[in-house]
Amino acid sequence: MSTITIKNLRKTYGPYVAVDDFSVEIPQGCVFGLLGPNGAGKTTTFKCMLDLARPTAGTVLYDGVPLVPQTFERIAYVPERSVLYDWMTVEEHVEMQRRAFRGFSPKIAYDLLAQFSIEPRKKARALSKGMRTAVMVALAIGRQADTLILDEPTSGLDPINQRHVLNLIINESARGASVIFSSHQIGQVERAAERIAVIDRGRLVLEGAIDDLKADRKIVEGIFPSEQYALNGIAGDPRIGRVDRSGRIVRLLTIDGAPEFVAMLESLGATGVRVVDLNLEDIFLYAVSPADATADVVEGARP
Amino acid sequence: MTYVEWLRVRNALRVVAIILGVFLLVAVVLRISYNRQLATDEIIEHISSHPHTTTHVTLPGGVPRTIITYPDDGTVITIDNVGWGGRHVVVTEPLSHHEDIHQITIGSIHAVQTRSGNKSVTTFDTDAPAPFYFYMAVADVIALIVATVLAAPFAREADGHLEIAATKPVSRAAYAAGAIGVDVAGIVLASLMTVVALLIAQAFFEIPRVDFSGVSIQVVLMGVAFPLAWYAMLAAATSSLRRGYGAVLGFAWPVVLIVVTFAHVPLGDSIFGQVINHFCWAVSRILPLTYANFQFNEDQATGQIIAPGNFGLRVAIEAVLFLVYSALAVAQWRRVEA
Repeated sequence: MSTITIKNLRKTYGPYVAVDDFSVEIPQGCVFGLLGPNGAGKTTTFKCMLDLARPTAGTVLYDGVPLVPQTFERIAYVPERSVLYDWMTVEEHVEMQRRAFRGFSPKIAYDLLAQFSIEPRKKARALSKGMRTAVMVALAIGRQADTLILDEPTSGLDPINQRHVLNLIINESARGASVIFSSHQIGQVERAAERIAVIDRGRLVLEGAIDDLKADRKIVEGIFPSEQYALNGIAGDPRIGRVDRSGRIVRLLTIDGAPEFVAMLESLGATGVRVVDLNLEDIFLYAVSPADATADVVEGARP
Repeated sequence: MTYVEWLRVRNALRVVAIILGVFLLVAVVLRISYNRQLATDEIIEHISSHPHTTTHVTLPGGVPRTIITYPDDGTVITIDNVGWGGRHVVVTEPLSHHEDIHQITIGSIHAVQTRSGNKSVTTFDTDAPAPFYFYMAVADVIALIVATVLAAPFAREADGHLEIAATKPVSRAAYAAGAIGVDVAGIVLASLMTVVALLIAQAFFEIPRVDFSGVSIQVVLMGVAFPLAWYAMLAAATSSLRRGYGAVLGFAWPVVLIVVTFAHVPLGDSIFGQVINHFCWAVSRILPLTYANFQFNEDQATGQIIAPGNFGLRVAIEAVLFLVYSALAVAQWRRVEA
């Protein structure tokens, strides 16, 4: 059974549609990356998942049942911005968690705070942005929850602590927890996540296991002798995500079956045909802004 | 679940403790400063400018008595020093010297004036039992300040902490009820702290004795219900705010005082004045201040202080306002979104 099932989630604020018909299943123990440009609806999706914002339509199920207050015993959440109480010390935040959640381990939290070099007696207002993020992460990991929802969990952290948080995410997954996190640093997502969903303008535009997405998605580039060439219906093939023509060059984003399209282009007279692998950033860019992505990929692929 | 609210209450009570501590420090300084003046002979020096004779005797119980006689008009003052600042003073003087006052109680100072032939006999007790409403009046001021300070528990959470407050394994209604309960405890505790501080301060000057008879129970009920209703009203007014709740708390007193004043003070016969009066009267019906009443009457027959006839109803309305406003605050809190 999936840990989390989101079905046809929709959230509007007046005329503005923040999330629209968003559906995804997040398997148990999975590290799931939610990607999207600024304002795409990632944070709103998280808020709807946690009932911090009430969905206009759709459902969010945890192990098949809707969220109830007791579900929060199993969910830890790190919001995008600091929500620590400025006037409270870090250790008071730890105590707050200890009193609120049965499974919370102050020892784990204090160990992590020590690793982040955070003095527990400091007031939250005395912490930098990165340190606040680290405190929130430490409090969340200390929960030993089944599900962690982390919205930009490395925001403001230095590269060393970013790496540390990524390792914590991977460790939590190894413990059996599901981790759903968002980040603008796609390299981090690629390193930690097994599956991703890309959301753009509130709509799900891509979802799947990273390895599968990378294995399936290729750019097949062909160079024809002249600018007058025909593709004979290749553009209409459902395995083609996008076709870009630029003079004598054609670039096909293939979702599957790249070798077949290599053969097709060659049979159509293309003189130089090659296959370009995509990394997650390319895949993301293709999903949210294909026109921008094509040029970058081709530029990067040229010798 | 309400740990954060406990910390807020703790911080508020800490400030109250500091203020009361300063008050006690001032009391200590005053006690040391006026130590000499409390001696009977020093009191005589202060009050006797006319020729007089002074006699010192010791009563069978060991109480020192000083008798001051003014031969000019036959006034006799008897001062019994009952220890630790306590004095029992009897002034016998010609009737024409003062108006006919029956009884005055100011804190622990109790004065009774009676006639005896053509003489007026006035008895002062400086350590008489003090009616509890004197303590409660001061305690209420502190309680109202604390109530105002604590009165935006949900707006404070909505202002940047909703992700913490609303992701706890408890329903929002239960969480809100807990927070209100904690604040109520804090307000009552502030009252108690004030009463205790007053008793301690009093003990520096005399043995504190509290008269809990008469209207004391009613005073306590009103003294608790009024600040709580005030707190709940402000909580309801701020529950759905994220910003600006400080302004609501800050302007609440001036605005409410203006409304209640204009509800009762006629603004003339002009239509404008009457509209203002009627509007303020209508609005004042839902304000706890309207029903707060510490104005008691003296029973002419017994001299006892008694509560007005509708006092019970006023306390009940304060309690209802507390419950209704609390429910409104909780209802709004349940709808707040991040």
